[in-house]
Amino acid sequence: MASHREDWAIAAPGLLLLLLAFLVPVGSILALGVRTEGGEFTPAYVIRFLTEPYYLGISWRTIKLSVVITLVCALVGFPFAYIMARVGPRLRLWLVILITLPLMTSVVVRTFGWMVLLGRGGLVPDIMRSLGLVRRNYTLMHTEVAIVVGMVQILFPFMVLSILGVILRMDPRLEEAARVMGCTFLQSVRRVVLPVATPGIVAGSLLVFTLSASYFITPSLLGGARLPVLAGSIYETATRTQDWPFAAAQSLILFTAVLLLLFPYIRLTRKAGG
Amino acid sequence: MTMAAVELNCVTKSFGDVQVIKGVSLAIRKGEFVSLLGPSGCGKTTLLRMIAGLEKVTTGSIIIGGTNSTRLPPERRDIAMVFQSYALLPHLTVRENVMFPLRMRRLGRKDEQQRRVDEVLEMVQLGHLANRRPRELSGGQQQRVAVARAVVSRPQVLLLDEPLSNLDARLRESMQEELIQLHRQTGLTTVFVTHDQEEALSLSDRVVLLNEGRIEQEGAPTDLYSAPATPFSASFMGSSNLLDVQIEAAKGAPCATLAPGSALPLEPGCAAAGPATITFRQEDVQLLPADAEEGILATVETRLFLGSRIRYVITAGAHRFRCLASPGHSFAAGQAIRVRIPPGRIRVIGRTLA
Repeated sequence: MASHREDWAIAAPGLLLLLLAFLVPVGSILALGVRTEGGEFTPAYVIRFLTEPYYLGISWRTIKLSVVITLVCALVGFPFAYIMARVGPRLRLWLVILITLPLMTSVVVRTFGWMVLLGRGGLVPDIMRSLGLVRRNYTLMHTEVAIVVGMVQILFPFMVLSILGVILRMDPRLEEAARVMGCTFLQSVRRVVLPVATPGIVAGSLLVFTLSASYFITPSLLGGARLPVLAGSIYETATRTQDWPFAAAQSLILFTAVLLLLFPYIRLTRKAGG
Repeated sequence: MTMAAVELNCVTKSFGDVQVIKGVSLAIRKGEFVSLLGPSGCGKTTLLRMIAGLEKVTTGSIIIGGTNSTRLPPERRDIAMVFQSYALLPHLTVRENVMFPLRMRRLGRKDEQQRRVDEVLEMVQLGHLANRRPRELSGGQQQRVAVARAVVSRPQVLLLDEPLSNLDARLRESMQEELIQLHRQTGLTTVFVTHDQEEALSLSDRVVLLNEGRIEQEGAPTDLYSAPATPFSASFMGSSNLLDVQIEAAKGAPCATLAPGSALPLEPGCAAAGPATITFRQEDVQLLPADAEEGILATVETRLFLGSRIRYVITAGAHRFRCLASPGHSFAAGQAIRVRIPPGRIRVIGRTLA
């Protein structure tokens, strides 16, 4: 059909760019992880990763931190997005600006900011000390808490904007109907808004989870060398030990894990979508 | 005297500096079907939402079933509401939607709730679709689910916010019939908001006509139709002919003078001499050939064929008015004719102040 051919023609430049700039390099890197120098298939690098406790520890920390970051983002993001959806359009605009403004500054700068706030003698330990919670010389730097705090701040907008979109599209009469049918305000949020907003929460969670699993600047700066995560480990392997095939194998594992997450998501949204 | 199901006492509502409801008092009897009728912006929906508790009352009070509910949140009022957009919960099935108010209000045991839901779904003929989701239903079916969900809890008052306006004309007619039947079966006190005067007239026991936040006129449909009290009522109830005339009391029987030499006779004693506004319905105007014995001289300005009827726009002197005639006799545009209106069909409403 002619219109079909036109569709392809319009999509062609984008598809070509995607092919050349994304699929080919990523594909060849991934291939590097399962090939010997001679070019034959070998699972050796992948097996090495999956059998060494050190790397399994890194994987476990990566998953754990990503789950915690996603949960925190969702738990704080849902009420925040709900409030944003229900305030007037003018205030909503300001809140959107407030939320997205940090996205316009460099991640590195923001991470350094956290280092100042969380480090020894920084604002946060100072406040905790004056509340009698911690001793002198306490620092939050190089802890998993620091990684979670820094990452939540970076990824929060993705969660909030995903949920906001869904709640804004929801018929506000649904909540009123729930109230008239006997729900208190909190019950109407729990029984109507939450289920209707679920696709947005799932989409936001997926975004936050995959991004936090593959982030390396913030975790390596705030967590330090003693708390490596998978993305940081790939970076180290590739740049410091220059073991490209092993770095590629680690990438392959990260890539596969994220891809596996996508399938249940697609099924879930399809169910919610009709 | 029986207690009113709903009582509004001098209710007002302001949004900022703008007062949209300007003191409405209304008592609705148990089992009554009342329509709030008016043009958009007259405050009818705001009034309904105040009864539901979705809008705060600025001053005045609302009593539902003997309980002062002015400050109660919606969930603590004994009401149910059908929204214009139906507002069915998209993540629940039809059955779960209808069950929802029973569950949230904890009415009856689980098996009683089930039985009640089945009963109501049968009543709106949706038993076979109980496990579908709202988006899999047609507009008319969604409408029925919304109605079922509202009547299932047997509320003190059933509130309907223009529930038929999203349906096409044929479906709307059959839903009107179903609503009347439902009202007869359940005996629920019903408040129905609409801007469609025909809908209000055909469904209700009483019509409350609202204009700019006030009750313009209320009464039985036949009263409102045949005896509009104000020019606004007259024009809104479809009696679009409003003429400013001079009333002359010539030898006992008064008549309304449209132009020198052409006067419409009125009922004896219906108005004193002087300037006034008269109104009459388009279908009460009788058109006669120009050589007829009676009637006043007039000219056909426009002729519109509507199928079962013909609408004429007539000019008589400086006045224009409309006429709805059966297609039996036909006059052409520009033709001179005579017009007769039975004296009993002309109402003198409000004197125009000179």
